[in-house]
Amino acid sequence: MASFEQAASLAARRAVDGVKDKFSPEERAEAVRRIEEEELNYLPGPDTIKEKLIRMCRENKAAALSAGILAVMAAAIIFADKLAVYDPNAVNLMERLLPPSKAHWCGTDDLGRDIFTRILYGGRVSLLVGVIPTTISMVIGIILGMISGYIRQLEAVIMRLADIVLAFPSIVLAMVVMYTLGATTTNIFIALSMIGWAKTARVVRSQTLSIREQEFVEAARGMGVKKWTIMFRHILPNCLPSLIVLFTLNIPDAILSEANLSFLGVGTQPPDSSWGLMVSQARTFAQSSPWMLIFPSLAILIMVLALNFLGDGLRDVMDPHGR
Amino acid sequence: MLKYIIKRILVTIPVLIGVVFLIFVMLSVVPGDPLTVMMGEKVKVDVIERLSQSMHLNDPWYVRFVWYLWDAFHGDFGTSYKLMRSVSSLIAGAFPKTLMLAVTAAALSWVIGIPAGIISAVKKNSLADHLFMGFALCGVSIPAFSVGMILQNLFNGILPVSGFASPRHLILPALVLGWNAAGTIARLTRSSLLEVLEDDYIRTARAKGLAPVPVILSHALKNSLLPVITMMAIQISSLLSGAVITETLFSIPGVGRLAVDAINSRDMPLLQGTVIFTTAVIIAGNLAADILYSVVDPRIRVEGGK
Amino acid sequence: MKKYVSLLMAGVLAVGTLGGCSSAFEDTADTTSAAAGGSTKAVQEESGESSGGTGATDQSAPGDNMLHIPAKDEFPTVDTQKDTEFYVVPLNIYDRLVECEVVDGVAEIVPSLAETWEVSDDGLVYTFHLRKDVTFHNGEKLTADDVVYTVDRMMNPDTAARNTDVYSMIKGANARLNGEADSVEGVVALDEYTVEFTLDVPFGPFLANLATPACSVYNRKATQEAGDQFGIDPELTVGTGPFKMSDWVLNDRLTMVKNDDYFKGAPKLDGIEVIQVPDENTQKLMYENGELDIVDLSSSSSQLAYFLGNDAYKDNLVTGPEAGCYFYVFNQDMKPTDDVRVRKAISMAIDRQTILDQMYSGAGHVVNSMLPDGVLGAYDAAEIPYDPEGAKALLAEAGYGDGCELEIYQQTDNPDALAINQVIQSMLNEVGITVTIKQMDDAAYFAERKEGRLGMTRASWKADFNDPDNFLYTFFTERNAKIRSNNHKNTDVYQWLEDARAMVDEKERMALYQKIDTTVIQEDFTVLPLFQMDHIVVVQDWVKDFHVAWNGWTDVSYYTVSLEK
Repeated sequence: MASFEQAASLAARRAVDGVKDKFSPEERAEAVRRIEEEELNYLPGPDTIKEKLIRMCRENKAAALSAGILAVMAAAIIFADKLAVYDPNAVNLMERLLPPSKAHWCGTDDLGRDIFTRILYGGRVSLLVGVIPTTISMVIGIILGMISGYIRQLEAVIMRLADIVLAFPSIVLAMVVMYTLGATTTNIFIALSMIGWAKTARVVRSQTLSIREQEFVEAARGMGVKKWTIMFRHILPNCLPSLIVLFTLNIPDAILSEANLSFLGVGTQPPDSSWGLMVSQARTFAQSSPWMLIFPSLAILIMVLALNFLGDGLRDVMDPHGR
Repeated sequence: MLKYIIKRILVTIPVLIGVVFLIFVMLSVVPGDPLTVMMGEKVKVDVIERLSQSMHLNDPWYVRFVWYLWDAFHGDFGTSYKLMRSVSSLIAGAFPKTLMLAVTAAALSWVIGIPAGIISAVKKNSLADHLFMGFALCGVSIPAFSVGMILQNLFNGILPVSGFASPRHLILPALVLGWNAAGTIARLTRSSLLEVLEDDYIRTARAKGLAPVPVILSHALKNSLLPVITMMAIQISSLLSGAVITETLFSIPGVGRLAVDAINSRDMPLLQGTVIFTTAVIIAGNLAADILYSVVDPRIRVEGGK
Repeated sequence: MKKYVSLLMAGVLAVGTLGGCSSAFEDTADTTSAAAGGSTKAVQEESGESSGGTGATDQSAPGDNMLHIPAKDEFPTVDTQKDTEFYVVPLNIYDRLVECEVVDGVAEIVPSLAETWEVSDDGLVYTFHLRKDVTFHNGEKLTADDVVYTVDRMMNPDTAARNTDVYSMIKGANARLNGEADSVEGVVALDEYTVEFTLDVPFGPFLANLATPACSVYNRKATQEAGDQFGIDPELTVGTGPFKMSDWVLNDRLTMVKNDDYFKGAPKLDGIEVIQVPDENTQKLMYENGELDIVDLSSSSSQLAYFLGNDAYKDNLVTGPEAGCYFYVFNQDMKPTDDVRVRKAISMAIDRQTILDQMYSGAGHVVNSMLPDGVLGAYDAAEIPYDPEGAKALLAEAGYGDGCELEIYQQTDNPDALAINQVIQSMLNEVGITVTIKQMDDAAYFAERKEGRLGMTRASWKADFNDPDNFLYTFFTERNAKIRSNNHKNTDVYQWLEDARAMVDEKERMALYQKIDTTVIQEDFTVLPLFQMDHIVVVQDWVKDFHVAWNGWTDVSYYTVSLEK
């Protein structure tokens, strides 16, 4: 597959590598620039990612539809205060447990609060819990993963730590962390970040291991480029496709974990509300007022399902061999 | 081969100790004196004092850690503050129920997950693919307690909705837990089958004019189910995690229930015991998976991990 | 090779499923007794006798003469000396010297293990004459020594009992508890069937107190042999009651079977199964399924509306008194509730009638006193008005014209408290008080309460024994003011409560209690009484002779109940 130019530059780089003492710093810098330029061909640049996305949308209708649904939901949640007619926390005992109607699209709960409004506002917590811990845990995971893949001395320590974290049933570990720190939304972020990083670290490590064997990395190292620069400028961009997939698939995990924690009473605390908490609060009224249970459940289902479809679609085009 | 297995087992020991350590430290920093709280307002202070002495509660946490390891090594995981019974007897009583639930759910997840995965892979991007994967994905996309509550209210009067008195009581919880696991299995079956289907020898077989179905069954499935089988052992982890929720919802007297109760009543010995036990089971499951994988696929031994 | 491995896997799993299936269910009897230290054989004999035993597949099988009742939380032990909360098992497997029963609509003390008794004129010495025909479940005869032992065990510091208050008025009891004596001086066996209690000071409600589950009588021999397994191992937990414990699968169900040798005659039921059903909606579902025979709506109030609003259940509702009430406790050591005007304002800003009507289907009535109907000393207290405007004025007067912040505390995992707290939150918001609801796990909640640091919180109290002392002393003495986290400072009230205990003249005593109650509630606003609920129980058609207990407890004796299926 290698083009003529690539073959040529490869040869050039080997030459440079072998006789680097004979070149001046300027010449070496120039050579490094050439190597990076060539690496761009290897890299899935922004254009390739865009291309892949377009391909995904064309081939995988489910993923495309999911992306659309997600956009709409995110917008509705973000602009909840503009969309909602009611105050999400306004108790109205005269209107408790009303079935869905024109005035209350999803009915009202046991304290007479409008469920549709609460779903919009509760989505904020669910969405934040999906995005923030996932981002934090991925940043930690990426750094630790690259370090352990690149700096062999630290590999054992980091990977054993990841083993320990992965050995826990995640919900139990999250419960223990919430128990230790106390049940607040911030602590949910911390608990989920503490758990999520290990998976990312493993993926990044194995990617790093294979990328570091690529010739352009060898060449860069040969030219005296610093470890950290190699990691962040050369290896990280190459992990990007898998990371995008991982990110999409980690968000639903986080949303569901928060729901589970709320069900167990150590998650989101009232009067704040998340979808998971709304579902678990519906329990006592599940039979006589099923709308309290159905609508927040649907909200979770649609968002998480869409994220899963999107994630699977992305994986098909970005990272066909990753699991 | 044997050497590899022994090595894998040895590697898990520091992990297990790390788990105990982590749990111990985390629970030790929780403020408050749980014993005083558990004993209530009417018990004399010196009675409590004597009890905490005998339980090493006045020592610094690292001393207690050593005591705990020592006792645990001798099979004594302490006494539950709330339930007043030895932690090991509580877990011994509860684990068969959790295992029972997990095994039934696992079996259910294969029955649903593997066929769904196969059909989706064979008919990639068809309506059937989307339908089957959609169904399987729903299982992983909705909290287990949502599904559980809906089923409880739907099947009331047809099936038992709470408790653990007979095999019939298991149907709903196993369905909830199994559907959740089925999603993972179906996705894995689909992707590994797709990978194999694109391999050269399958293409050759197809080119020779063999019908697609026999091709798939005779060649592809055999190879593609390998990761799925390994997954089954790893699945223990997700099933045990899920069991915490399912057991709470369906009032099943398993280990997960104990853990949740322990959290609510700050029952430290019980919480430590259940968490350490569950984690040990998962480590054992992963170990079994690794060994199994290395038996069926010797290549893996070189790298020593995935 | 690969094929065989997969086959092997499948085989192992199939066997595992089947094997696991049978073992997990058969195990239930084993694990309980193994957990408690042995005697599997005996348990199996019992379960043969009780059709609802371990292997039962269908809980509501016709002809099954077992009563199925739900419990929301697992009991740590059924040893009433060590547990202050769960009495359904103790009430059915043990007896007390005397019992409290409703006779002609009035709660009265009636003989039980003690046939007759005399009280000395100074009110200090109680002499009980025991029945001679009572045997414990292990075959031992009840003697005066067992009564002496029971009291001594409670006060023995090694027992680490949690219910010691019930005997603390007995002479020498506290000395025993403090380790200063080897026995309780004031309890003596005069002969085999006569036992004498001597008190430090007269204690009016002493008899009523002896009728509480905490004063259940144990057998010396069996209890000593059982050691710390008493109350835990079904086989070793021995009482005199109409039922005996036969099986206990923790977090699942506890089974009691009838005691054919019960001294009042064998009960009509074959046994009782207490099933763990923490969720109220699930309790309702299981009732509709026929899996539960009795559901007490006073502990499942979220289902009130469903059962009251459904005509099909009209004939299944048994109502009775509930000698107890709900109230909010204010902490006078915390801002802003340290100011009586703020406490009064909060009381006036809460529309209790609307809450009762909307959230509890109006099944009860608003109260303005801590002494609910059905309890001695109950009286017509002046109404605390609902007056948001007046509340605002009071707040302004107290310097909170621009609003203030208030914390309401509650336990996690208490949906009922959460619901009403959220309503209060929105009602107080109307008068400018911003409420934060703080949820704490049980351990933290009780720890804070004990230290007097719990903020405003909802509480309830149901009579242990029929005397105002049980309500007022529990909350308003100096020590209890702290451990109940109200921290009220009225020293007169402290004194009056002690005075009332020693009063002999009933009329004077009740007048004093009324004064205490009025002072605490109408002047000091130490607590805000909410409602006294109607006690409503849903009972299946086939359950006969079920009566609500005099005090409205959910935990009752099922001795008289029978089933007609």
